[in-house]
Amino acid sequence: MNLPFPDYSAYLAHSTRRHFLSRCSLGLGGIALASLLGRSRAVGAETAPAASPRPDGRHHPARAKQIIYLFMAGGPSQLELFDYKPKLIELNGQPIPQSFLEGKRFAFMDTSHGTKLLGTRRQFARHGRSGAWVSELMPHTAKIVDELSIVNSCAANLFNHAPAKLFMNTGSGLFGRPSMGAWVNYGLGSESQSLPGFVVLQSGPRGPRGGAVNWGAGFLPTTHQGVPLRGGVEPILDLATPAGISAAQQRQAFDAIRDLNLARAVETGDPEISTRIAAYEMAARMQTSGPELTDLSKETAATLTAYGTDRDTPSFARNCLYARRLVERGVRFVQLYHTNWDSHGGPGENLNSDFEKVCREVDQAQAALVLDLKQRGLLKDTLVVWGGEFGRTPMGENRDTMGRNHHIDAFTMWFAGGGVKAGQVLGQSDELGFNAVEDRAHVHDIHATILHLLGIDHKKLTFRFQGRDFRLTDVHGELITKLWA
Amino acid sequence: MFPAPPLTRFFLALVPLSLAAQPAVDYLTEVKPLLAQHCCRCHGAAQQKGGLRVDTVAAMREGGDSGTLFAAGPVDGSLLLKVILGTHDEVAQMPYKKPPLAEAQIATIRRWVMQGAAAPAHEEPEKTRHWAFAAPERPLAPEVLDTAWPRNPIDRFVLARLEAGKIKPSREADPATLLRRVTLDLTGLPPTPAEVDQFLSDKSAGAYERAVDRLLASPRHGERWARPWLDVARYADSNGYSVDAPRQIWKYRDWVVAALNADLPYDQFVIEQLAGDLLPEPTAGQRVATGFNRNTQINQEGGIDPEQFRIEAVMDRVATFGTAFLGLTVSCAQCHDHKFDPISQQDYYRLFAFFNNSVDDGHGKTVSGGLLAFPREIEAPEGLMRELEEARAALESFLNTQGGAVTAWIATLDTPARVKFGATAREALKLPWDQLTLAHKRALYALMPDGAPEFAAANLRLQRLERREPRPITTLVMQELPQPRETVVFIKGDFTRPGERVTPGTPAALPPLAVANPNRLDLARWLFAPEHPLTARVMVNRLWQQYFGRGLVETENDFGTQGTPPSHPELLDWLATEFRERGWSLKALHRLIVTSATYRRSSHARPDLATSDPLNRLLARQTRLRLDAESIRDVALAASGLLSPKIGGPPVFPPQPDGVMTLGQVKRTWTPSTGEDRYRRALYTHWWRATPHPALAVFDAADGFTTCTRRLRSNTPLQALTLLNDPQFLELAEALGRRAESARGWSAAAKLSHAFRLCTAREPSAGERARLVAFFKQQTAPGGGGVRAAWTAVGRVLLNLDETITRE
Repeated sequence: MNLPFPDYSAYLAHSTRRHFLSRCSLGLGGIALASLLGRSRAVGAETAPAASPRPDGRHHPARAKQIIYLFMAGGPSQLELFDYKPKLIELNGQPIPQSFLEGKRFAFMDTSHGTKLLGTRRQFARHGRSGAWVSELMPHTAKIVDELSIVNSCAANLFNHAPAKLFMNTGSGLFGRPSMGAWVNYGLGSESQSLPGFVVLQSGPRGPRGGAVNWGAGFLPTTHQGVPLRGGVEPILDLATPAGISAAQQRQAFDAIRDLNLARAVETGDPEISTRIAAYEMAARMQTSGPELTDLSKETAATLTAYGTDRDTPSFARNCLYARRLVERGVRFVQLYHTNWDSHGGPGENLNSDFEKVCREVDQAQAALVLDLKQRGLLKDTLVVWGGEFGRTPMGENRDTMGRNHHIDAFTMWFAGGGVKAGQVLGQSDELGFNAVEDRAHVHDIHATILHLLGIDHKKLTFRFQGRDFRLTDVHGELITKLWA
Repeated sequence: MFPAPPLTRFFLALVPLSLAAQPAVDYLTEVKPLLAQHCCRCHGAAQQKGGLRVDTVAAMREGGDSGTLFAAGPVDGSLLLKVILGTHDEVAQMPYKKPPLAEAQIATIRRWVMQGAAAPAHEEPEKTRHWAFAAPERPLAPEVLDTAWPRNPIDRFVLARLEAGKIKPSREADPATLLRRVTLDLTGLPPTPAEVDQFLSDKSAGAYERAVDRLLASPRHGERWARPWLDVARYADSNGYSVDAPRQIWKYRDWVVAALNADLPYDQFVIEQLAGDLLPEPTAGQRVATGFNRNTQINQEGGIDPEQFRIEAVMDRVATFGTAFLGLTVSCAQCHDHKFDPISQQDYYRLFAFFNNSVDDGHGKTVSGGLLAFPREIEAPEGLMRELEEARAALESFLNTQGGAVTAWIATLDTPARVKFGATAREALKLPWDQLTLAHKRALYALMPDGAPEFAAANLRLQRLERREPRPITTLVMQELPQPRETVVFIKGDFTRPGERVTPGTPAALPPLAVANPNRLDLARWLFAPEHPLTARVMVNRLWQQYFGRGLVETENDFGTQGTPPSHPELLDWLATEFRERGWSLKALHRLIVTSATYRRSSHARPDLATSDPLNRLLARQTRLRLDAESIRDVALAASGLLSPKIGGPPVFPPQPDGVMTLGQVKRTWTPSTGEDRYRRALYTHWWRATPHPALAVFDAADGFTTCTRRLRSNTPLQALTLLNDPQFLELAEALGRRAESARGWSAAAKLSHAFRLCTAREPSAGERARLVAFFKQQTAPGGGGVRAAWTAVGRVLLNLDETITRE
């Protein structure tokens, strides 16, 4: 139709480009602007890796472009799954040698902390060409060990859930620091024109401790924060047009807002209005892309069976399928939280049937995800990370049923795809599983390594806040070169 | 133009004009600034690497370990030229490990040395003191050429800088824009169309100032300015960490609103918040004010070490104190001496000692003493208290007849049986029956086998009534332990590694605290010592930041050596001294700023300044600022006509999308408020730290975890989705549409203009009105939702305009 408005598109293109080039924190707005400018992607090159010599904003060639992080919230027991300890089984029921206890602090130490060693009752076997040990509780994962780098020597600093989870996500146990997904999007921007660059999915009986701060942007611009997708038909808050408003009417509203904003942009000369116009265009695209993302009707029965999910029931398995669809659509960082791995013993948290149940909830789907990514050619560019905020003690707890306490000195994570060496077991804990004794991989080292795989030097990805340059790895972090070399 | 440090300007004033007029290189303007920028960090007052300092010509002549900088002979043979050229055999090229000086800069220094390296008269060495650690001295407002422009001294400082750069200030903003600006800035709400009309028609002198006074007197002013203060105080309605249980501390929020409305002088405002509990015979209000330091998080997770989280809270109080009042990053000294500012690790723990003595623990279990109750403020339902009294009396009179039976039964009990009793019953065993309270008697009798049926009936009746009995309102307050805790330095900031013992004290680089055994109250009063260099500067800077989007010191939370120097140092100091001279009146400061000519400029971009001053540091114009999260909701509420004027009280629950509350560890419910509470200002929205209201969080509301002195202003698609589709905004759009539609006898175009004015305070241009008319026609076309829906659609468009959510 004939609008009573002049055509401002030339103005917009000019002012937007100028603004885009001059402004710092762009985030999602920047992505939208980039698409407005006909760029394929927006690299936060003006901001983050400022010293980057590379046109794509990276410090060195990337092995991985995207990440799927399977966060096992609560701290899964490595001793029941990947870290096979015959000596611990042999010494089952014996007191822990004093030499292992000195200088250590444990959660719940005062009331219920056990001091007797607990050997696993699970059967372990070697699998694949790599001969990695995996217990009977993860039969599907056992079949893909030749795709994985299993690291049995991970270590963390904090032994309570909320601070530990923050530590694993942000490199600090204190609130207010940006999460890894926020850092990565800040550094690299998103490749999706119509979805946020950092998406979070959740499953299990409860949300992860600490909630939204685990995927927060901290002091980074909020555009980089994780966007939690929910189950059901509305994956992003307020994504659906309100009832009673047709798609055509919604488009008319978008157009009217754009035209009036354009008039104001011309009147005031404020480039921020151009960013807002672009943000509304992105919002309009997200209204379409969001529902398309969660529409599983085109997924084949074979795929659904492989993951062990149907189209309608919220579960970790369905989230794994969403994760693949998200990386297919260019989302940079996908994080799945699954609870409850907090196997202290006690109601709902024992190492017997409760632990078997939570293993069943993830085992088939996580293996299917890795294989599905591989089959679709996505695995080489997608780094899959699996692990909790810590592991479990070699001692059992004095509770009604079998359980283990939180343990930060040795636990297991695994990595797949994204340039990671396939089919290796890296690092060792001591014979009782107490301390990492070979190739210790501290959380800061893991962060440095993940950034490295993405082409980012963890020492150069910084943000000045309250008078200091902050980074994900604080003042720490050594590359775990064996993970890819 | 090189931004001259304060000391250089001091010298400039002393130099005879004739010297500057000579064709020779001017040391003070051409050489000294170069040395100050590139050399004095290592060779100045703070440190003298190689025994050398270059902050005076005399010191350069004297030289350091390698001798004088100006040896006789060819100029390029002098030590100074050799090191900056990089031709010295042993000394590395200077500046050390930095890019060399530019050729033109080296040439200037070379010419100056050739001309004899003349020293100015009375050149004094650089002082060690960073500017922010010296008390502000009151500068005279500078002379300006355009004497008609300034409205108050602020303008002379600003105009002098602009004139020096040959920049003309922008024109004044349109009256409607100006009134909207000042109304939003002073009250957080837009002006009503009637207020705009009145202002536009008032052509008499002082119309604007009268509007300012009206706004400053409005109770909305305290609500608006409480918000940035509550950001600093990291206020929230929940405990944070993983459990994030609700807490009651809204009395503190209401105290802030009331204090700002009453223009409580800033010194009292701060002293009562930091140490109201330690004032002689503190009032309830003064104790409520200490909630400032109780806004720390509480970790209620099982299995934690409570001491660890008690210490986290104390550290948070130190960090907040440092940021909020000193504008310093004192937390950097938690693990080691501050790398840049004169704050030692000892200094840090000396500050820590002031906050280390309160009764609250790290687990939220020890609340006695840290909690102030207001039992009389509860309004019980009609007749409930009378019924409760009657039921209690009935039960008590029955129990009073049962003493013998109970005593006989107790005598039959052995120790294991007694141990199994609950705490109240166990207590009751210690006293004879007639000395027991009703609660004790009740607890014991309930355990007795074969109790009389009269008891069961009377007890049940009382229990039912008690369930309806409102709990007393409480608020978290500071309270000192009778015996202070011992404070030690934590080695590397690790509380499990105690180091040497320290006593309370203030950082050595700041004015001394001349009190023996100082406590928190002394610390609070110390902030307002006449020679304190930071308190006033930090606060006027934060106020300035709210009005111009950026502080005079851009790093509003870092006045230390790593912060940015002030853009207008004299203005900052003038404002700081003025603040003090006006009795620390915040309203006087607000009035001063908003009545300045500087504040009243148009915010339109200036193409002529796009490259020279893109960020508007020189303040030739105002700046368009996206509204804060709370104001975005409040503007929509006001435009829709639904806004409730109710001040204070418990937090409220405006609608939010389903499922938000399930994202936290503990699933909580969010039952939307009904009636008036549904439409309260966003200040009153219940703030869950772990699961904040998404419509506020998406617009960068402070998270409440740590002190926040400046919010980000992000601009995202999620904000667009919120304003367009969120049920609470849809409800307001509908009300706005209805309000516009109901103007009887007006044409559609006039109604559209009215709705537009409700949001932006100005008339739409002809083009804008035509566009709205075209949109309205689209919406009312056959097949649409009808006229009512079309008006809602208009409301949606208007609430989504960039201008509606922006202060221009």
